[in-house]
This record gives sequence, structure tokens and C-alpha cells, in this order.
Amino acid sequence: MKMSAILKKEFLVFFRNIGLVVFILYAFTLDIYIAGKGIKVTPRNVPIGYVNEADNLIVNKIISSFHKPEFKKPKMFLSEKALKEAIYNKKIMVGIVFDKEFVKNLLSKKEAKLQVLVDATAAAQAEVTLIYLQNILMKFGNNLKLPATIDIIKLFNPNSNTKWFMSLSELMSNITMLGLVLIAVVFVREKENGTWDIMLLMPVRGSLIIFSKILSQVLILMVGITISIGLIVFGAFDTPINGNLFYFYLISFLFAFAIGGIALVIASVSKSVLEVGHLTIVIMLPLIFLSGAWTPISSMSPFIQYLSYLSPLRYYIEATQDIFFRGSSFMDLLPYLGAELLMALVLFYIGYKKIGRLF
Amino acid sequence: MRINVIKAYFKKEVIDLIRNKMIILTYLIPLMILILFGFGIKMEVTHVRTIIIDNDHSKLSLEIINKFSHTKYFDVKVENLTYKEALHKIQTNKADMIIIIPPSFSKNLYKGAQIGVFIDGSFPLRAVTLQGYVEKVLINGFNIKLPIKIENRNFFNESMRDYNAIVPGLFGLIFLVVPASLAAIMIVKEKEVGTIFNFYSAPITKIEFIISKLIPPFLFHSVNIFILLILALYLFDVPFRGNFFIFWIASEIYILISVGIGLLVSIITSTQIAALVLSVVITIIPGFLYSGILMPISSMGKESLIEAHIFPVMYYNHLVYDSFLVGEGFKSGGNILYFFILCAYAVILITLGTLFLKKAIK
Repeated sequence: MKMSAILKKEFLVFFRNIGLVVFILYAFTLDIYIAGKGIKVTPRNVPIGYVNEADNLIVNKIISSFHKPEFKKPKMFLSEKALKEAIYNKKIMVGIVFDKEFVKNLLSKKEAKLQVLVDATAAAQAEVTLIYLQNILMKFGNNLKLPATIDIIKLFNPNSNTKWFMSLSELMSNITMLGLVLIAVVFVREKENGTWDIMLLMPVRGSLIIFSKILSQVLILMVGITISIGLIVFGAFDTPINGNLFYFYLISFLFAFAIGGIALVIASVSKSVLEVGHLTIVIMLPLIFLSGAWTPISSMSPFIQYLSYLSPLRYYIEATQDIFFRGSSFMDLLPYLGAELLMALVLFYIGYKKIGRLF
Repeated sequence: MRINVIKAYFKKEVIDLIRNKMIILTYLIPLMILILFGFGIKMEVTHVRTIIIDNDHSKLSLEIINKFSHTKYFDVKVENLTYKEALHKIQTNKADMIIIIPPSFSKNLYKGAQIGVFIDGSFPLRAVTLQGYVEKVLINGFNIKLPIKIENRNFFNESMRDYNAIVPGLFGLIFLVVPASLAAIMIVKEKEVGTIFNFYSAPITKIEFIISKLIPPFLFHSVNIFILLILALYLFDVPFRGNFFIFWIASEIYILISVGIGLLVSIITSTQIAALVLSVVITIIPGFLYSGILMPISSMGKESLIEAHIFPVMYYNHLVYDSFLVGEGFKSGGNILYFFILCAYAVILITLGTLFLKKAIK
């Protein structure tokens, strides 16, 4: 009863701030759509150029196999010098020189060496582009027969569709950011206005006030997650789900509380909303970028890998990928759920000790 | 324009910045972004947890296992599992890749032998890269000659280091987001606290006010150029091949653009937290997407290519990458053009800010 009164008050405060409501709707819909559509990490539309010194038909045949979506239409250059200049001006990323010797060797079925100039500034993309090239070129020349077929199956996401991965990563980053800000502000605004002492003077236990205040914001986040999952992740991007959606809600709920615990600690040490903003940025950046939201943890330096065990986001990300892609069962998810719960409890205790008392 | 008025106001701003500890954030946040992103964002794929199930136990299969073990890309474990058990390892995120060599694999060569590779595809970039690595290693292990051998010459980032690719790109992100939010907060703070009325009523002109408000964030972040440059050169070992002065001047102009954005943000917001959120939101997404960190500008599709040309970060980062890795400087016409586009941006933004700032109550 007392709890529902506090919840009602918090919802009222939230919906009075129209600007905030619009911003949160944006963060849960359009922002995730833009990230899913816009960020493509596997190379696409690689601008490619070539010099045809040999003037043989086979060159045209090879060139015609570079096409969309991996490559842009190849541009012809008259000399190697012009090709190099285009690379230096970043007009093209890959330049191929077909010289006379290459064609001679290729036609006489000797090993033909092909000169490829690569702008390797973006190292990872350059490497994958070279792999594309290698695969295309394997078809040409002496009828190559491999001694065994290599059967590569990319599980869970066979076409390497980046939309699914990116939209989920962006969603989890946004939940982290909004969770920290919303929950910390709920407390600090009262502190700033001087109403926090009044709240604590009410005939309600301090821990109940704190819990229901956080619960109100967690519920708002859960509504946001539902909108986002329904409209963008399933609606616009058609993401498959191999596990149980209910588990995703469960881990999201626990994660929101763990983040709420961090926010409570932030709120207890800051005096103004602006300080919350600053502290949130300082805490949020490492949280998001070192928890494996955007790049795999296993290729980070070992020190950061150990550090990331302290981040609730790490468990959330792994669990979410397990649920959506790897289709893990409830038993496999238990460690993640337990870790989130433990972190939430510890952080709540620390935060409550600092903020839940008068004076 | 009176120098002593500007000087007095400037002194007040600097004292204010130091007193309310904003000065710590001015230097802490760029440092944090550079170090965290520099060490944290890894595009290259290494230490893939690989399980090889060898049912063949022949010379060839041992050779293949050997080939996989001797690279930094794979952490190989040879285990005796069934397909189902191995799949469960991927499902519970205990392995990234399984390679299954079937029984009598080496006997069936050229007679329909098949080797099975299962990759965890949840990370698309990692999956695509892994696929290429695996094919390369296996073809190498079969000891056959490919018809065409690629001899690649890498430019700019010869050894394909991740640090060289990512660290320079961070300059464009940091100097877009941080000075803008600092400048916006410094002006909006006066609005929120109410001291903006001093500006309304004092005999100080709009230009003098803007100059004295924007110079502190500009100067403080000019120091950051050197701090970040030193970190990039000595902590991350990124080469610097270009002209230092072009890099320096371009960075100063870019910071001017950023504080110009902050000025515009301060005009439409009235609380500090709103100014902070708005300036971060409008700068961080273009700053990240069009910085060239995640994907090179030249390989963008039509729509994103047009969008990239709208934001200043693309022009600045082109110059930064040129200074660090390419070293063409003003020998290339494109760089001169981009430099002047940056100048135009700075002039336009500051002029707009001056026009819209009102020296009266709305």
C-alpha cells in the first residue's frame, strides 16, 4: 500500500517531464534503429581500383567478379602511379596491379603472383578485405581441386547479419546509460530540492522508500525494453531468438536492479544533478566499452578481462547473447542471474548505508 | 572590444572552473576515453577458444592441429567429445569454434573427404574474420598450390596494428564531445544560477562576453592536444609521419568548432544537465560513426557517405590520420580543401552563436 503510493508519485513526476519521456522513447526506438542500420563492421562497398598492364581478357573476367555488396564497381587507372595516388588520397582502399608476367603465369598454369596495394589504416577491415580477395581469386586459373571440402558453418547467424548484434548491443548500452541517470536523478533531485529529508521523515521505512523509488524507474525501463524489443529488435530487424524470451526479461530485471545499485551509490555521493551527470559519464564509459558490448572480451588485454568480472553489464551481455543466439537453457544462465543478484544486493547495502538515513 | 574587460571576465571564468572542480573533468575525461577505447576496442581477432576433435589420428590431422596451434589467433584444445557435447560448449560460451576431423579423413582425400568447422556467429565481424583465417590455415595445411598468390603491400599501417587504426580516430571523437559540453555548461550555469543577469545589465558587449566565455575551454583543451598526442606516440606507439603544425592548427580549429557547437547548445537550453545531455547526444553519435574508427569513410554506402560530409569530424579525422600514418600534408589537394572546410565550419558556427545570443531576457 505504502509502496504503491510512492510508485504512483514517481510515475507522476516522470510523466510530467514531457521532454524526458520523448528522449527515452527516442533512445529505445529510433536510436537503436540507427545504430543497427548504420554501424556495419564487416566491410561493405570497399572502393577498389586496378591497373591493367597486360590487356588480356582474363583480367576483365577477374575484375567482373568484384561486385556488390562487398566491393564498389572497380575503377580503372592508367598507371601504377595514379593508382597509388588514389590510395594516398583515400579515394580507394584496394588497388590491384595486373602486370604482364602475372597473366603469362596464370595462363601457363604456373604460380602467378598478383600485386595488391592495400590501405591498411583500418587494420581489421583491411584483413577481412584481403580474405574476400583470396576467396574470389581461388576460382581462377588451373582448375583447383581441394583434397577435402571445408564445411564452415557459422552457427546462430549464418549470414553474419550485423543488424541483430548491433541493435542488441545498442539496446544494452542505452539501458545502462538510462538506468544510471534516471535512478540517480530520482534521489538527487529530492536532495537538491530539499524534499529528501521530508521523505525520510514520513512514517515509512527508509529502505522501503529507496526500494520503491528504484522499482519505479526499473519498471519504466522494462516498458522501454518491451517497446524496443517489440518494435525494433523483432519488428524492424527480425532478430531470431533461440532461447526463452522470459529469461531475457528476468535477467534484464535483475540487471536493472544492479545498475540501480550503482546509481544509488552515485546518488549518495553527489549533491547536484550536474554532478550525477559527470559521475555517470565517468562510470558509464568503461562499463559499456570494456564489457564486451562492441568488441569481444577475449581479445582484450588480460588485465581488462579480469576487471570486467566486476561489471554487471558483462554478465548481462553474455546472458543476452546466450538467450538470443546460443539458445542456452535456464541452468546455463543461472551463474549470470546469480552474479547480477549478488551485485545488486551488495550495491544496495552500500547505497542504503549512505543515503537512507537522516543527516 | 576592450581587452581589460575581457581579461577581467576571463579571470573570473578560470577561477570558477578551478573552484567547482570542472578542471578535473576537463582533463580526466579525454584521458579516460583515449586509454579505455585505445586498449578496449579491439577489432582484430585473437585467442579464439578452439576445440579440435580429431577422430582421424593420422599424420595429416596432426599436421592440421599443429598449424592451428602455431598462430596467435587460436588457443587450441584437442578434446575427445561428441558433436553434441562440443555444440553445448559453444552454447554455454565455453568455446568459440569447433573443428571436427572425421574418421579416415586422410584416406578419403580427393574422394569426398570433408572437414567440419562450426563457428559461434553471434559476433558477426569475428565470425567473418575467423572464417577467413580457418580457410587460410587449412589450405596451408593441405599443402596445395593456389593458382593466384596475393602479394599485398600494406600502406600507412604496414603491420596492421589495431592501435594505429583506432587511436588517431579517437581525436576527432574526444575534441568534438568534450569541449562542446564544457562550453555549453559554462554558459548555461550562469542562466541556471541567475548570474546571467550580470551579463544582461553590465556594460559588456556580446562579442566580449562570447570571447571571454569561449577562450577558457578553448585554451584548456589546447593543452589536451599535446597530452593526447604524447600518449598516442609513447603509450600506444603510433607513428607520426606528417607535419606537426598542420596537425596542431587543424586541432585548434576543430576545438573552436566544438566550442561553437557548445555555444549554440547553451542558447537553446536553460539547465546545466540539459546542456550536458544535449551536447553529448548530438556530438557522440556522429563523432563515433563518422570518425573512421569503425569503418573507413570511403567504404560507406551512399546515404551514410552524404551524412558523413555534413559533420566536421570526417574532415578533421582525415587530416589526423594523414598526420599520423600517411604524411602527405598539404602536398595533397584534398587535405588543403578539408582544412579550409574546417575553417569555414568554425567561422559559421561562431557567427551563428553570436547572432542568436540575446543580451536581454527572453
